[in-house]
Amino acid sequence: MSLWVDKYRPKNLQELHYHHALSKRLKSLASGDFPHILFYGPSGAGKKTRIACTLREIYGPGAEKLKIDQRIFLSPSRRKLEINLTQSNYHIEITPSEAGNYDRVVIQEILKEIAQTQQVDLNAKQRFKIVVINEADSLSRDAQAALRRTMEKYMSNMRIILCANSTSRLIAPIKSRCLLVRVAAPNADEMAAVLNSVAGRENFQLPEEAARQIVEDSNGNMRKALLVMEALKMQSPNLTGPLTIAKPDWETYCHKVADLIVSEQSPSRIMEVRNKFYELLSHCIPPTVILKTVAERVVERVDESLKADIMHWAAFYETRMRIGNKKIYHLEAWVVKVMSLYKQFFYGFDMSSFD
Amino acid sequence: MPPRSQPASQKKPVKAKPVVAKLTVVASGPPSSDSQKRFNPLTAYSFKGASAQLSQSSQPPPTKKRKGKEKAVEVPTDRGLVDEFILDDRLWVDVYEPKTEAELAVHVRKVEDVRRWFLEAFDGGPSGKLRRYRRILALTGPSGSGKTAAVRLLAREMGFEVLEWKSATGEASSSTWDSSFDFNGDYESAFSKFETFLNRAMSCRSVFDVPAAATPSMSSTSTQRKSNTPSSASKHVILLEDLPNILHPKIQDQFHASLRAFIESTSQLSSPVPIVIIMSDATMRGETRDELLTNGGGAGGYAWSREKNDILDIRTVLPRDLLMGPYVTQIAFNPIAPTLMKKALTALIDRHFSQRSSSSSHSDIVTPTKEIIDAIVESSNGDIRSAIMALQFNSVASKKSKKGKKHGVGSTQVMEAVTRRESSLALFHLIGRVLYNKRKGDPSSTSASAKDIKREKDLDVKLKDPSRLPPHLKEHERRASRVDIDSLYADSPIDSSLFSLYIHQNYSQFCNEMEECDGVIDWLSWVDSSGGEMWYQANPHRFHLLTLGVLHSLPSPVPRRSQKVYKSDYFEYLKKEKEAWDAVSDTRYWMMNHRGLGSEESLSMNASRWSRSEVTLELGAILKLKQQQQQMRKDKESFFPPSHSLFSKLTFTRDDKMGMQVDEDGVSKEEELQQFIALNDGEANGGLAKGPGNGDGDGDDVGGNWLENDDIEEF
Repeated sequence: MSLWVDKYRPKNLQELHYHHALSKRLKSLASGDFPHILFYGPSGAGKKTRIACTLREIYGPGAEKLKIDQRIFLSPSRRKLEINLTQSNYHIEITPSEAGNYDRVVIQEILKEIAQTQQVDLNAKQRFKIVVINEADSLSRDAQAALRRTMEKYMSNMRIILCANSTSRLIAPIKSRCLLVRVAAPNADEMAAVLNSVAGRENFQLPEEAARQIVEDSNGNMRKALLVMEALKMQSPNLTGPLTIAKPDWETYCHKVADLIVSEQSPSRIMEVRNKFYELLSHCIPPTVILKTVAERVVERVDESLKADIMHWAAFYETRMRIGNKKIYHLEAWVVKVMSLYKQFFYGFDMSSFD
Repeated sequence: MPPRSQPASQKKPVKAKPVVAKLTVVASGPPSSDSQKRFNPLTAYSFKGASAQLSQSSQPPPTKKRKGKEKAVEVPTDRGLVDEFILDDRLWVDVYEPKTEAELAVHVRKVEDVRRWFLEAFDGGPSGKLRRYRRILALTGPSGSGKTAAVRLLAREMGFEVLEWKSATGEASSSTWDSSFDFNGDYESAFSKFETFLNRAMSCRSVFDVPAAATPSMSSTSTQRKSNTPSSASKHVILLEDLPNILHPKIQDQFHASLRAFIESTSQLSSPVPIVIIMSDATMRGETRDELLTNGGGAGGYAWSREKNDILDIRTVLPRDLLMGPYVTQIAFNPIAPTLMKKALTALIDRHFSQRSSSSSHSDIVTPTKEIIDAIVESSNGDIRSAIMALQFNSVASKKSKKGKKHGVGSTQVMEAVTRRESSLALFHLIGRVLYNKRKGDPSSTSASAKDIKREKDLDVKLKDPSRLPPHLKEHERRASRVDIDSLYADSPIDSSLFSLYIHQNYSQFCNEMEECDGVIDWLSWVDSSGGEMWYQANPHRFHLLTLGVLHSLPSPVPRRSQKVYKSDYFEYLKKEKEAWDAVSDTRYWMMNHRGLGSEESLSMNASRWSRSEVTLELGAILKLKQQQQQMRKDKESFFPPSHSLFSKLTFTRDDKMGMQVDEDGVSKEEELQQFIALNDGEANGGLAKGPGNGDGDGDDVGGNWLENDDIEEF
């Protein structure tokens, strides 16, 4: 009993429901001269699905025979890193964020190894192997720099497919060496079509109202939409009547934290909010997501004149968070900033009027 | 507690003569009531009667002039030495090793705990059943807290023998020492020697009645000593203080295995031999480890859990399951309290100088003054060994300085320089000093003593007022601070990263307004994000910047409302986060494997589509639903690993949990380090982190409860 998202995931380029022009282009690339490709686009737009379909297009069904290997790498300080690699005969997938700070070592080792081995399958349609790097935007600078040279050097028997949410954190040399493929989020109609087709294959009718609600809630994230549909189906099998789409726990939690911030501003409240943040962080919720969710909620609840400032500071501390080590400081710094802004506003004390 | 015994020839290679003299004595083998088998030339002769007899029979080296010294009664080699401070090179620590419990500076209850353990180990306690659980006693505590001394003293008092393991590395060369130990050219790894020792010590006890050449820890004198105390023959204790190289992972595994085997095999015996493991807590600063930890933790908790621990610690010595299990009792020694230490030092001085004056009428004896003892006690931080060393050093130094007509102030300064230990400022005081933000002219607190008030006044006089700021910077004007950041930095027991965590945990109680909070937290945030991605790119001025920033932002004076300093929740959070990440991985792998088996298509391909953040952010709701369904249907089919609630379940509560408080005794610093170590081990360690902070006998109580329950079950 796998999830619908996985169960009905398109297997080849023809099955993909949207961005047909893109599919066509990928298809022609697959048969001809295949470049390094960087797929980017929002979460849940279908990047990885598209990559898998492209691989299948290049190598045929053999690319779907995957095995999971645990490999051990040695960091420069002789520490052992255990990394899980998913690979077929034709390609290898890595998620460098699993290697933490040592992603450079892992990337280099893998690329070197792949580049040194020739394609053994004589029936393979292409002479090269493919390295898929997931979450490429979390690659460290070092690793990206290491990648850049290798991409040119081993072009003869290796191609790289990068997958990222945004290109902004990739260095320019990498971007310029890749064919950039943007996988945009599907629009509402496309999503509804996908939902209906999945519903059809599960043998039930999806009411239009429910579909609309799901699409609205999922905000262009196809994976989320399908998960929500499955959850709703489990809750109320006929999917009629008023539907309440259950938010994940962490989202409700973030909203409550936002309420805490708005309702009182005092040093003791800071402590309370801090504990809540710790709780969220210890549930593996990424700090950027926390900041974003809480900030959006706070902005909803405050006066118009404060909104710009709150978002400004959210962006400010988000940058610091990316550079810094201890995320909690920056989250809290933002909270304190918001609290003091709100308090000043509340007491009608506006610093700008003195200028 | 004397230092690890080493062959005399190694310890003082320079002064050959006294050593030779001693070694001749060794050969004649004085009988000693000291029931331990360790060959310790320094303590072995403290038995007065025997050595006195011996001193008459042994030939004094002809070169020596006869000059009666106070220790002549005790120590044969002293006779005729020109100057005992130069030629009697024995350390006071060894000379005045405590012989009775009254002399031992350890807290009475601690000693009582250890004694009770030994009683239970030999006799089985009141119910007689405890014996099989008293297998391993782990004594931990900072160095110089009297762990070894306590064991030795109890051995003497209760009449059991201590068989100590001593690593033979490097000692093979000192031929005088292990002449009885046949080192045949065959290479035998240090560890296999250890194993042999352990096996023999626990199983073949009868062998020890004949000269036990097999165990390297045995000295040639042990048998003679042994024969003098036949009553103690039935009682042995294996003492492991000089451990094999545990830091090597393989040896560590072997060591753990042999300990397990030891427990397994001896719990069946009628009179098993208990093991005593003595571990000095490594007190080191949490410097780069901290950075590694936070860096790795930030990158997803994968990397740092793999980190091999390179700190010698009770957790590396004993595997976790043993440490938590019923067979191991941990007793944590605290640093020696100043009052006890002072008493002990005074007694030692009395003994030393009364003996000296009775045996000779030397005029240039300088008894250390009370001030010097106070200074030593203060600077030793509860390490009695270092205190005695300092005392001895002082009496040498002060004697010389007297000749140079320079005494008093000079010697105290020397003491300062010599005895001052690195971490002399307790964490509690460090945080307090920063967060109370005392500035020039602040009224003293009501509880301050007259001395403190005077000191503050003196300090204020020295402080210069800062120059006035121009009007547009008026808001940044502060009075001169009483905090000397450089000395704070020098004395800080923790590094800047840990320091910032403490500031972060506690600053909000010390603020009145949001703006003050904003200042502090903004500095924390800035300091954390200044510098590069890697630890070595970090800003080198973090400590100073942070302290200055915090002092600048806090109100002045800080309102006193009995603030309590808490331990940072950060470690708790890291621990939980790590567990949650493990749960995420579990879920992901479950998804991959589950697919691969059941379905017709190769679905494992799809599972790898799920990145970890997608699992945590989007899968939560559906996991919960599926689990509910499964529970309703009473499904037998294995579904998602139940651990997923670690990341998917978040209930919002408003209860204010308070963290662990930091005590003034500064013990929490060690807790902190332990916590660090525990985290680095990747071990979720709840019970032990509280270790030394919770007063006497804590560890034992835990063990005791367990055992009582077990006893009830057995009846």
